[in-house]
Amino acid sequence: MSLAMAAENENLKIVQVGHGGKFKKKLSEMGLYKDSQIKVIKNDIPGPLIVDVKGSRLIIGRGQAQKIMVEGNNE
Amino acid sequence: MDKIRIALAGNPNVGKSTLFNRWTGMRQHVGNWPGKTVEKKEGTFQYNQQEIEVVDLPGNYSLTAYSAEEVVSRDYIVDEKPDVIVNVIDAANIERNLYLTVQMMELGANLVLALNMNKFAREKGLKINKKQLSELLGVPVIEIEAVDDTGSDELLENIAKVSKSPNIVLDRLEYGNEVSEHIQQIEEIINQDISGDRDIPMFDAPTSWIALKLLEDDPEIIKKIEESGKGQRVLGNVKKIQKHFNDVFGDDADAAITDARYGFIAGLVSESVKKPKIDKITRSDLIDRIVTHKYLGIPIFLIIMWLTFQITFTLGDPLGGYIEQGFAWLGETVAASMGEGFLTSFIVDGIIGGVGGVLVFVPIIFILFLVLSVLEDSGYLARAAFVMDRFMHKLVGLHGKSFIPMILGFGCAVPGIMATRTLENERDRFLTMLIVPFMSCSARLPVYALLAAVFFSAYQGWVIFSLYILGIVVAIIMAAIFKKTIFKGMSAPFVMELPPYRIPTAKGAIIHMWERGVLFLKKAGTLILALSVVIWALSSLPVGVEYASQESITGQIGTTLAPVFAPLGFGQWQATVAIIYGFLAKEVVVSTFGILYGVGEEGSGGTATEEAANPEFTGEQASSEQASAESSAGSASGEEKAAEEETAPEEDPGFISAIQELFTPLSAYAYMVFILLYIPCLATLATIRRETNSWKWPAFAAGYTFVVAYVVSLVVYQGGLLLGF
Repeated sequence: MSLAMAAENENLKIVQVGHGGKFKKKLSEMGLYKDSQIKVIKNDIPGPLIVDVKGSRLIIGRGQAQKIMVEGNNE
Repeated sequence: MDKIRIALAGNPNVGKSTLFNRWTGMRQHVGNWPGKTVEKKEGTFQYNQQEIEVVDLPGNYSLTAYSAEEVVSRDYIVDEKPDVIVNVIDAANIERNLYLTVQMMELGANLVLALNMNKFAREKGLKINKKQLSELLGVPVIEIEAVDDTGSDELLENIAKVSKSPNIVLDRLEYGNEVSEHIQQIEEIINQDISGDRDIPMFDAPTSWIALKLLEDDPEIIKKIEESGKGQRVLGNVKKIQKHFNDVFGDDADAAITDARYGFIAGLVSESVKKPKIDKITRSDLIDRIVTHKYLGIPIFLIIMWLTFQITFTLGDPLGGYIEQGFAWLGETVAASMGEGFLTSFIVDGIIGGVGGVLVFVPIIFILFLVLSVLEDSGYLARAAFVMDRFMHKLVGLHGKSFIPMILGFGCAVPGIMATRTLENERDRFLTMLIVPFMSCSARLPVYALLAAVFFSAYQGWVIFSLYILGIVVAIIMAAIFKKTIFKGMSAPFVMELPPYRIPTAKGAIIHMWERGVLFLKKAGTLILALSVVIWALSSLPVGVEYASQESITGQIGTTLAPVFAPLGFGQWQATVAIIYGFLAKEVVVSTFGILYGVGEEGSGGTATEEAANPEFTGEQASSEQASAESSAGSASGEEKAAEEETAPEEDPGFISAIQELFTPLSAYAYMVFILLYIPCLATLATIRRETNSWKWPAFAAGYTFVVAYVVSLVVYQGGLLLGF
């Protein structure tokens, strides 16, 4: 499923970042890359999401979150 | 002893600037990196009789060529080779922060790690074993608190030590066999083909770093290799290896390297940081539950903005009043000691009147910037960007980040436009620059304050508030139009960090305020001083003409152009003259009225002198006429000042009646609307020119805002007439 559809407070793992070039790089620098473990803190539709990434909080636009695929992570 | 040259590096919002300010205090210099619109901060301080020169590098997440800030940082590390780089790290966020650390290690930088915000990390339940981390990385790791002196001595001690015996960090990095092998492969070819050539400055950097950057497709490095003329074999091999990565991992080399870095960091963290099993809920999270709430977020934002302006004007107005009195006194003193004459008129009417009229607003501007700095440093502005994103997206097609420059625009468009630097996408950046000038800046406030006090004394606050709202509405409409026309296309992807809430330090907020406020002061000291002299000269020439009368050059220009504005309800030459000068700087509108009417109705030149000699007369008259303006003005006017306020425009009865002859309430409102919307001031246009590096955008901004202002004012005035106002 896409990150935009994820429920709040669920542990997730990124399976694919469907962005290209610079933005993909930018996301990975901020901690959003394939295999990274994240958690959605806030997902109010409409509007951007707040995501927990390695202990920091990122705001990501809804459109951008739609292109990031995640799965449940119960490690 | 030689001085030690150090650089501060780290992610945004880690407390780098706090540390920089603590060390250098006011002995700092803020400029731009050569050829870039990136701010460069430098300063010096003493430690153990040793001079330390420190450069505050821009806050970065990485050292790619993604943004100008990153290029500046890495070029500095490679070319200038600072003795020590102090990497400030947010301890609560250590894993993400180490990503930049690792990249500086790739560059072979001589690092000292300063772990900041340890209290917050402990609150989150993180336990960092500094000794272990230091051993793994081969660099000193020191716990500090940038807001106080915790760890300061230990940090400085280590900086001094490391500056003498640099750490070797290159061999500490472990990126796994696959990545390391390929890096080595390219490294060898570079060594064989190019490295003999010491003329290429980039090769001061470790060869392994160059190899790594080539695999990452770094455009700057590829360009340099191409320029060396000997890079064919290197680049050919890079292409081959990149293809190999794609085949083996199903992802590009770039992603593989990112993974390798994060893998290395994960290893470090697992050995040196103890994390709690279950994430603790921090205070920051609790505040965010309310502040970023779906329904409460926007009302909270509006309340905070309202408070910002309340605080600004409640504190700023009386202070402005003192400055006003000061200038009035100065004018009188000068006039009294010099006697009447041409030179007196030049100094009193031209310089003191013109510049003084503007400096009155300095307290308001500084306090507004102080409050905005506190909001920014506390982390609230990032929340405002989050809350406004929903709204901005729907209405304007810009993301929430564009809202920060717009908020700053309420203080002054110049820092607002400079703040658009944080937007990565050029289209969004230019679009934001074009609408920031519609945010009613503090320089426009005096115009409203003057006219609203005269014409709408009972509803003053509401009239001014309506103008602020009108500015925002026009900005939104124009942004939506631009987004569908000249800036068609996708808006930039939106991702930004939400820093934890922090209590802003007084020093940080004051320095912040000062940096921005000084821009305004410089403008007042140079541009406005020069303009005041020009206005005075144009109002006094040709020789022998009555000062600022219709026969003066000023009057003639105004008279010629006035009919253009007649349909908007203000076709008088004085109003036109003020509009012309207001283009040069909007606050000048008030001082122009001040100079034009400073002469009073008798028009015999040197009012200040005349009125100074006759205080009872003005005092008495003032009491009746002023009463209405004063009761609701909320501006500057304590009872005890009344006797000294002859030259204060809003309080001068002659001046008020002159303004009342010039406008009707409706035309005064149309005039304020025009002043709000028309051509941004010269300093704003100059900033747009600098930031876009082209004359096209400032020219466009000037043209389109004039049309918008004309149309909206026309609608207001003619519409008002139809409705019978």
